[in-house]
Amino acid sequence: METKRVVKSAIMISFVAFFVVMMVRAIVGAYTLTPTSTAEDLKGLPLWEIPLVYMWDYAQHGWTCLGFAFTVAGLFAEFIPQDFMTRYMSSGKPISYLVATLIGPLFCVCSCTMVPIFAGVIYAGGGIGPALTFLLVAPANNLLADIVTIQVLGWRIALADIVAAGISAVVIGYAVSKTPWGKRFEAQFKKNQASAASVELVKQPVDERLWSALKFGGYLAKQIVPAFILGLVVVSYFQAFFPENIVKAYLTGPLGVVFAALLAGPLYTPTLIEVVLGKALVDLGMSPGATIAWLMGQPYDIPNALSTSRIVGWKIVITYGILAFAFSVISGLIYEAIITL
Amino acid sequence: MKIEVIGPEPACARCKSVMENAQKAGAQAKEKGIEVTVEKLNILSREVVKRYGVLISPALAVNGVVKVMGRVPSKEEIERLLTQTK
Repeated sequence: METKRVVKSAIMISFVAFFVVMMVRAIVGAYTLTPTSTAEDLKGLPLWEIPLVYMWDYAQHGWTCLGFAFTVAGLFAEFIPQDFMTRYMSSGKPISYLVATLIGPLFCVCSCTMVPIFAGVIYAGGGIGPALTFLLVAPANNLLADIVTIQVLGWRIALADIVAAGISAVVIGYAVSKTPWGKRFEAQFKKNQASAASVELVKQPVDERLWSALKFGGYLAKQIVPAFILGLVVVSYFQAFFPENIVKAYLTGPLGVVFAALLAGPLYTPTLIEVVLGKALVDLGMSPGATIAWLMGQPYDIPNALSTSRIVGWKIVITYGILAFAFSVISGLIYEAIITL
Repeated sequence: MKIEVIGPEPACARCKSVMENAQKAGAQAKEKGIEVTVEKLNILSREVVKRYGVLISPALAVNGVVKVMGRVPSKEEIERLLTQTK
């Protein structure tokens, strides 16, 4: 029994190690993990062949990155101490902002876990501030999105996006908690300590935890990859036919930043597709500042706003929506200013 | 004994598989003569948050104590939980 567990663990660890090594090799060797097709490559082809060529191009480069991302996301979801995170996030102390920003995105890769945590923090009296910070930062900075952004758009833009999204989520959360309607909403929920005895998580042997982590990674892949493939089909046509001069005219300069934030906001696309679509726009000439605004325009899409409005009401949703829009524009402008220095 | 499966309403795919595993484990326990009820709780209700605090879905509680959250326990694991709690 014991040796069986050791062997099983060893097999799973080598599986994880394989993806880590492949990923490091790609980074060190500076292989590109994204499609390299340009509009010229795609334009001459028959219509049906465009997505196939684009996807084949992606499959050749992208599988390492996606495999790594799903594996690591599964591992984090399993091995990050969850009760630590939920306890601190609902503590109502300033540290809850920090925990929400830094740890939240590491394991919240699934939207159906996010809204319950958001509501839970509020109901448990943790305050609307940290809950909102979490709600904004978790989809923007989730692990899968980060890994893919680094690979697809480069680490500079990815880093700027991560930092900007983190800072603005904290500021927005804090600002909303200080508005009169935010305070009034918060006052309905008294701080209540759920008795610690009601949660007593059981420990599992390592091999079963690893297996459960990999299974979750696989589950995520099953959820996301079909939508991702569909997104690639759309992006391939986009890349082939979307007129370059429109992108150059509207998605550059200060106005371009505003347009990018406006476009990306209400658009409901999984973050991974938004990244690939962003890459297509960058290839067509979108400016770096607009790219940042585009990437940050994720958390206030319409379905997300609908489900949170049921919990906190429209007034708060509109407040944070406007703030999030303002912050993506500001971050885009700042980034543009920094790189043109 | 009472098993509670805690997740959002309508249930997401992972909560459904926890529910299935819990029902199977419950049926198995019944054959051994242990009476088990399986119930679904809404993670978004204030009542549930008051009782259990902030949870990560899907979660599973046995006799009012949350044993598992944020993952899908197998049927065997739930059976183990039932015999340990007894």
